[in-house]
Amino acid sequence: MDNTRISKKFVYLFIMAVFAGFIFVGNTCQAKQEFIVGFDAEFPPYGYMDENGEYTGFDLDLAAEVCKRNGWTLVKRPISWNTKDSELESGAISCIWNGFTMNGREKQYTWSTPYVDNSQVVITRNDSGIKELKDLSGKILAVQTDSSALAALEGEDATDENKALAQSLKELQQVEDYNSAFMNLESGMVDAIAMDIGVAAYQLSSKSDIFIMLDEKLSSEEYGIGFKLGNTELRDKVQLTLLDMLEDGTFDSIVKKWGLGDSACLSLEDTTYIDGGRVPSPGSNGVDNQDNTDNNLEDTDTQDNVKSSAPKAGKMSIAQIVKQLSTGLAATVGIFVLTLLFSMPLGLVVAAARMSKYKIPQWIAKIYISILRGTPLMLQLIVVFFAPYYVFKISTPYAYRFYAVIIGFSLNYSAYFAEIYRSGIQSIPQGQREAAQIMGYNRGQTFFRIIFPQMVKRVLPPVTNEVITLVKDTSLAFALSYAEMFTLAKQVAAAQKSLVPLFVAGVFYYIFNFIVALLMERIEKRLDYYK
Amino acid sequence: MSVLEMKNIKKSFGSKVVLKDITLKVEKGEVVSIIGPSGSGKSTLLRCATFLEHIDNGEISYIGKKVVTKGADGAVYPPKKELQQACSNFGLVFQNFNLFPHFSVMKNIADAPIVIQKRNKDEVYKEVRELLEKVGIGDKENSYPCELSGGQQQRVAIARALALHPAMLYFDEPTSALDPEITAEILRVLKSLAAEKMTMVIVTHEIDFARAVSDRVVFMDGGMVIEEGRPEDVIDNPGNERTKMFLKKLHV
Repeated sequence: MDNTRISKKFVYLFIMAVFAGFIFVGNTCQAKQEFIVGFDAEFPPYGYMDENGEYTGFDLDLAAEVCKRNGWTLVKRPISWNTKDSELESGAISCIWNGFTMNGREKQYTWSTPYVDNSQVVITRNDSGIKELKDLSGKILAVQTDSSALAALEGEDATDENKALAQSLKELQQVEDYNSAFMNLESGMVDAIAMDIGVAAYQLSSKSDIFIMLDEKLSSEEYGIGFKLGNTELRDKVQLTLLDMLEDGTFDSIVKKWGLGDSACLSLEDTTYIDGGRVPSPGSNGVDNQDNTDNNLEDTDTQDNVKSSAPKAGKMSIAQIVKQLSTGLAATVGIFVLTLLFSMPLGLVVAAARMSKYKIPQWIAKIYISILRGTPLMLQLIVVFFAPYYVFKISTPYAYRFYAVIIGFSLNYSAYFAEIYRSGIQSIPQGQREAAQIMGYNRGQTFFRIIFPQMVKRVLPPVTNEVITLVKDTSLAFALSYAEMFTLAKQVAAAQKSLVPLFVAGVFYYIFNFIVALLMERIEKRLDYYK
Repeated sequence: MSVLEMKNIKKSFGSKVVLKDITLKVEKGEVVSIIGPSGSGKSTLLRCATFLEHIDNGEISYIGKKVVTKGADGAVYPPKKELQQACSNFGLVFQNFNLFPHFSVMKNIADAPIVIQKRNKDEVYKEVRELLEKVGIGDKENSYPCELSGGQQQRVAIARALALHPAMLYFDEPTSALDPEITAEILRVLKSLAAEKMTMVIVTHEIDFARAVSDRVVFMDGGMVIEEGRPEDVIDNPGNERTKMFLKKLHV
């Protein structure tokens, strides 16, 4: 009697979860044309999360204005810098607009003309004794993975001096984002950071007492907007709108707002793209020039001292951080619940195949388990997300990002559950099956009435382990830039230049797991009536 | 008509021949004990008779109906459904009982009649209570197997087998897991079943128990039936040397 009540509860839970999933996904459907800007949300002042949890920055302001003038809906899509090319290729984003260095990447994208002149500089602690580039010899220098600074030091087009400099280093340490680079520097784990001047200025604005910027520059380079190779149509539209904005002064006011006065370099004189095409002239094509006197950006900044007027992400209180992360917590719980819902039954199917007396399902299950347990979950998520495009040439809708997370997690966890189930089933004495066989139970009845209930009790402790690991593993969804709690925590941490959001996330995970452990313990107690 | 008829049963595990050429008949209402040293093949014979092991060749019939037949390339087994049907002819009380630990005593016994034989729930419950009363544990229907002693578990196992209304019962070493004083109680249960003309085959190495309970004793050694007959003949006046040696060892 009790059993049926429990299974009914599970059915309700399942139905509710599926509906929740649909509502989640359904929200993203829109009729207006979308302009999806891919950016690194840990890259202030070009793109980052402000204290209200909104994505903001110089580049996003420009993009917002471009969209407004074209009647597009702006979608701000934070991406992982490692997968930016796949995101662009697959059409998941319309462009990369995020302090994106053109130099060295000329042939990989269809570019706008440069709009920011950006140099690569070196930041160090002011007590490090490093005064010029040659002092870096024998030191540890940090750069962001796949960044311009890395290209300037080790890329194909790196100058001989820079290559020699890279050689003289003790180590060239690659980091995922600048926030962790600065934490590394502050704590003495690295001696210096090579990075874009704009980002450096933003960081120095609040920590000039600890850090200094070397006068010597590694290289001088420019930012552009990167479109998918060959997508000149969209590029021309955006370019034209930008030039219109330059003409009527909107561009300059946005530049001033973000304190980038020294480095903006968008020019009406620049009439050819680097791919050889002609830059269209403003007003000559169908872009609708809206009157933008009501643009409130113009009066935001009239100060002369541009550097100091750069807006900073306001300090967030713990309560604000908690509120921010709470929105991500819903996504985390969603991943957690749906993964369990799908991976637990799927694991049973895999376990059944693995224990089949036929060789073919047995081998399929073996290979399945071997691959899913033998490769990193993060890699599996990336494969699931990008495979439809790269393997089948199918462009996936935005909602697929969420599906990919669930599919990736479910597949991965089903492999672990399958092996746990198998060990549970095999630990049940053969005599149970023999008794059932002689009493006339068929295979299905034997499994569901005799074996399965006993297996559940036996596998509870290892399943609890797995479930708790899953709570923490949900953070790996950041690989697909899915805005779950840890992804948000990292973004907030970058904007706040603080470790506190990460600790807050840690507390959240702990509480979540505490509740999970408590629940599992109760289930275990309920099954304690027999041995 | 014989309840069980086994003819020319051959069974090997790899290169080891366990049953050489066994023929055994059990009549209705008979109580037969199979005795013999360990490794003689008596347990394997029981497992073959209950289809837990497949024989290499030979013939097995229940109540005059052939289930397993001889074939050129070995024994021929019927399709799963038919074999399952044949299983309803007998019950088996395992050496370690194999009760279902997650079911209460009541459910252990009543589940199969209700789920498999599709019998009326209330009728089954009523019958189970009578059976429990009969084996002397009428107050245990809501207990779980882990709460019972070995002797009580065995009674549940017997009741479980009886609830399915089999034509005969097999017992695999019924006394080996029990204390000596409980053995006497089990003997009483078996005797009362025998009085009701229940056909029983008991595999045991306890000679006194075999003598007390059975109409006929079968002595096995080396995968063969060496001697069979009334207990007072086989046990007290064995004709065969090997039987004598086996009994002597036990009595020393």
